[in-house]
Amino acid sequence: MNRWLFRTTVSVGLFLVSAFVGLSFMAGGPKDALEMVRFALPHMHVGTLKAGDPAPDVRLVALDGKTRFRLHERTSRRPLVLIFGSFT
Amino acid sequence: MQIYSDYKDHADFLTIYIREAHPTDEWRMKANEKDKDDVCYVQPKTLEQRIVIANDFTRRFKFPLPFGVDEMNNAANDAYAAWPERLYIIDENGRISYKGGNGPFKYDPKEVRAWLAQRYGDVKHAGTAQANKS
Repeated sequence: MNRWLFRTTVSVGLFLVSAFVGLSFMAGGPKDALEMVRFALPHMHVGTLKAGDPAPDVRLVALDGKTRFRLHERTSRRPLVLIFGSFT
Repeated sequence: MQIYSDYKDHADFLTIYIREAHPTDEWRMKANEKDKDDVCYVQPKTLEQRIVIANDFTRRFKFPLPFGVDEMNNAANDAYAAWPERLYIIDENGRISYKGGNGPFKYDPKEVRAWLAQRYGDVKHAGTAQANKS
C-alpha cells in the first residue's frame, strides 16, 4: 500500500511539475505561468454563440466617453465585422 | 487595417475595446515594456480610464476603424466571450455568420478576409498588395 501511495504521489508530482514547466515555456517564464493561471484563465471562455445565432445587442461607449450606442445600430445594412481586443 | 481598407466599401467594421489582456498589475508582458513599443497600463477600474487607453491606442496607430468601448460591466466581452481578442462577422439579418477563435493563437484575420472575399471577390488595393510583398 505504501509502495502504491509512493508511486502515485511521485507520478502526480511529476505530472504537475511537467505541466508547470510546459506552461512556463509557453507563457515565457515561471512568473508568467503563475500570472497566466491567476489572471488569464478566468477570463478565457469559448462562449456559447455559434454561427446562425442572433448577435447579442450590447451598449457601447464612443471614444468621447459620453456618447452611447447599441451594437444593433450598426447592423442590418451590410455585414458587420467585429474586432474585439485591447491595447496590451 | 488592410482588410478594412480593402472591404470598407462592402462591409462595416467596428472595433470593440475590452478589458486589458496584459496590464502591469496582472499578467505583465515584458515585450510591452520595450522602448519602441512601451505599452504599460494598469487594468482600468473606471470607464474614464478605459476611454483614455482606447484614445491612446487610436492616436498611436492612427487607427481609422470605427471604435466602441465596452462598459465596465464587461457586457460586450461576456456576451461574445471575446477576451483577450476575437473576431466575428454579423450578417445583414443580425445573425452571427462567422465566429473566430480565441486570440492570440486562434485569432485569424485571414478567415475574415476569406469570408469577405467569398462574398465580394478578392479585393486588394495597391497599398495592401505592396504591404503583402514586403
